[in-house]
Amino acid sequence: MKKPLLIIVTLLSIVTIQSQTLSIDNVRKAALRTSDAIKEGSDVKGYYFFYISDKIDKNTNEYTLRILDNNLKVLKDVKFQDSKYVTILESSFNGTDLIFLFYDSKEKTFEYQVYGADGNKRPFSYSRVLSNKEQKFLDATYLSLDDEEQTLKGLYPLEGKGFISNMPSREEKDYTFQIDYFSTEKKKQWTYTPTEGGKKFIGDYLGNFNGVVYIEVLKFKSMTDQKPDSYILGLDLETGKQLFEKTTDAKYRFYPASISVLNAGKAYIYGQYFDVDANIAKDKALGFAFWGIDEKGKIISEKYCSWDLDIGKVLNVSAKGKIEDFGYLYVHHIVQMADGNIFAIGEGYKKVASALGIASKMLSRNGGMSTIKIKITDMAMIKFDKDFNVKDAKIYDKNSNTVELASGMEFVSAPLLGKLVKYTYGEFDYSYTQTNKDLTSFTVCYSDYEREKNYKGSTFNSISYNDGKITTDKIKTKSDATRSWVLPGKQGQVLVLDYYKKEKRLDTHLEKLN
Amino acid sequence: MNPTNKAIILFFHLFLSSAVFSQLRPVYNFQKDDSILKKTYYEQALQEKNKLISSLSSEYKTDYQEIYEARFSEVSKLLQSTRAVTDMEVHNYLQSILKKITEANPALSAKQIRLLFSRDWWPNAFSMGEGTLIVNAGLMVFLDNEAELVFVICHELAHFYLDHSNKSIKKNVETYNSVAFQSELKRLSKQEYGAGQQVDELIKKLEFGNRRHSRENETEADRYAFIFMKNTGFDCNGIKTCLQLLDKVDDSLLYQPIDPEVTFNFSSYPFKKKWIQKESAIFSQMSNDDSPLTKKERDSLRTHPDCAARILHLEDSILRSRQGEKFIINKTLFEQLKKDFFVEIAEQQFKSNNLSRNLYYSLQMLQNGENTSYAMFAIARGLNIIYENQKNHKLGLITDKETRGYPADYNILLRMLDRLRLDEIANINYNFCMGHKAEMSVYAGFNDEFNKAVKQKSQY
Repeated sequence: MKKPLLIIVTLLSIVTIQSQTLSIDNVRKAALRTSDAIKEGSDVKGYYFFYISDKIDKNTNEYTLRILDNNLKVLKDVKFQDSKYVTILESSFNGTDLIFLFYDSKEKTFEYQVYGADGNKRPFSYSRVLSNKEQKFLDATYLSLDDEEQTLKGLYPLEGKGFISNMPSREEKDYTFQIDYFSTEKKKQWTYTPTEGGKKFIGDYLGNFNGVVYIEVLKFKSMTDQKPDSYILGLDLETGKQLFEKTTDAKYRFYPASISVLNAGKAYIYGQYFDVDANIAKDKALGFAFWGIDEKGKIISEKYCSWDLDIGKVLNVSAKGKIEDFGYLYVHHIVQMADGNIFAIGEGYKKVASALGIASKMLSRNGGMSTIKIKITDMAMIKFDKDFNVKDAKIYDKNSNTVELASGMEFVSAPLLGKLVKYTYGEFDYSYTQTNKDLTSFTVCYSDYEREKNYKGSTFNSISYNDGKITTDKIKTKSDATRSWVLPGKQGQVLVLDYYKKEKRLDTHLEKLN
Repeated sequence: MNPTNKAIILFFHLFLSSAVFSQLRPVYNFQKDDSILKKTYYEQALQEKNKLISSLSSEYKTDYQEIYEARFSEVSKLLQSTRAVTDMEVHNYLQSILKKITEANPALSAKQIRLLFSRDWWPNAFSMGEGTLIVNAGLMVFLDNEAELVFVICHELAHFYLDHSNKSIKKNVETYNSVAFQSELKRLSKQEYGAGQQVDELIKKLEFGNRRHSRENETEADRYAFIFMKNTGFDCNGIKTCLQLLDKVDDSLLYQPIDPEVTFNFSSYPFKKKWIQKESAIFSQMSNDDSPLTKKERDSLRTHPDCAARILHLEDSILRSRQGEKFIINKTLFEQLKKDFFVEIAEQQFKSNNLSRNLYYSLQMLQNGENTSYAMFAIARGLNIIYENQKNHKLGLITDKETRGYPADYNILLRMLDRLRLDEIANINYNFCMGHKAEMSVYAGFNDEFNKAVKQKSQY
């Protein structure tokens, strides 16, 4: 179970001179259970702090949900009583409405509560009991992470309409996922789950465009299937009805990672591509593919940028995607600016021998650790023109760190290892990318660790693009606080939180990235 | 003369007039504070505090002592900062008004009173309860005449004369230390469930009691203020107009709202709309009055009665009072002070490290043609400091953030400061300085700011 932050928040804010003699502070305490940024896509619109403000009886707590805007001004305190097993897993904002996902760990239920632009709770909410599969997935992933920055990310905003939820589930070797739509205009919901033909489904919400919800699905016929079927699923946003299922096997075997609306309102899916007969567990990706797709699932354009021919022209890339000293590239995000330029933001990683894993293998027959480990290297940014021709690429140095792997990972392909590092281990330094509304600037944020003479500690770094110019910046997050951490802020800014244990004080300040 | 020649001459005439005007642009001379007066007032306040503490009985002595020390600390912070106005001309003016009041009210003449203006921007006046009375410059700039200022001073004098502050302290110390209150707190500290809600109720009850008491004090202070004022010769209608002003002062602007584009749009570096464009926001349609409290509870939490009710209480007395003067002491100085105080407030914000507010007031002055030399210098200086702080990730320490309740034009400026990139700040300031370089060449310090702006711009 994710541990709540052990921060005591004093609720009282009496400023009269007289209150200083009170001992009420010792009686009235509140324990912060969870907090996070509230986002509309990549843009931070506010923050929430969810804390237990009182214990009502042995099964019931009084909770306060404090909602702040992106300037840290308190907008609203919502107080309510509920089971002591309740917490908030996630929130999202769709431009008008705010949604919170409440989880009751005893009843195994999800409840989605919606707040309108007027600040009032909608008269309806959405709730459901979790399946065993979903519960097991939740237990094995989010709830096992002892890190308050690793919040569940499965709620996606649909501007002014509602939210899409993507909830994976897992029982033993049986994987699947469930897509839900929750309207915020009125109580209206639909659910989609893949029903047949596969033992293991992995579904990624790519995005929505022109009334169609695009999902990338990998369907494994068995647990040992090395050539899973990849297809794009199109669902009707209004009804959840399946509109199309389009295989991504064509000239190459293509595994889309995301969708972006680029080039004046056309939807493009993009990701790495392989040889059509490739074994994705072992073989290496050939490069990047960009497919234009319409709302009927028809592919209207295809563009392939190979490592050796296209990206190799601007970076020292070996065939099969390996860049000298950089390793393989894992693409985190792709953005297009109003000037038409497209940027792929990625991070390097490579396989290196693990002394620990080798020792483990020698000492134990089974060997719980892999003889290889992953070394996370530098950040990289590749610039394409609007026709997806590679124009430039640059590597941004950072200190490397390593990830020890479980036994058996020696035989897993580099691209798949990249996905594992991203989603299973969560070890990439990349944090997020934010773009502004008129697409003239974006900011890529990532963390690093410095071991310099004058400073030894964490840094929070940025690569910013603004009106055609690229700048980099870093904030040193080590301070005299007991603990400091960084939350996303509005575009170009971060929220730095400094916790002083002795004073039981939490300082927050927004800082701009240059 | 043909029309073309006439136009050329007119053009040169206007140009020359403007150039002459530029050279003669008045430079604001800041008020000169008197360190001896500050020290004297500090010593007086210290003595007053020590006298109070030495007179305490053993009962709750520690609590009283802590409160008196905290109160003195506030007074001493004010007196030791640049906030307190001790310029001799201003001080003498204020003392002349005080003398007029005390001469008409012998009951006040025995009191040791330290009456001062502060350079704080918010419209307020207050009595610290130990003889220090403060009128913020932020209130003075909105007043229309001396009669209104006299009412403000009489109201604070009444609080002091009636010993409201010390009585409130006594009441609260006794309540908090009472057996009933302490045993209730003790009980709640041991209670496992529902303690928080009961503490909230306990606090609410106390607060309602305090606020009710505070409103009663205000009504009483208004009544005594009228008594003090009616024999001074000032027009008691000033009470009514002052209360009407106070009713809407939080939403009032002294100048026309600013438009950043007017000042920061340059032919070589055009203003970008994206700097101030509004974006989607959580609870964008939430009413400002979103308190979970009932109307009755909200009314119970007010520290002051409604201004309409305050006027109603005194209206008959005002009507019956002798006709008085709006100005007696010095009308010219009063009007001058109102103007000067706006620059003083702006500069105080700079000294207090609030660069966004300093910039806001400077833009107000520039766009409304008041103290424009200072305004231009302050804008150039402010943007240079903002640049340096943004570069060092310290901007959040010297600027406000958009907040409900701030004037709309200030929020637009804050949004702009929030979005500007380093190179944009450098370019804006460079172009701003270039545009005013000629007319500001004789203003002390402007050239330094210009050179800094050039250096910053050269990095892009």
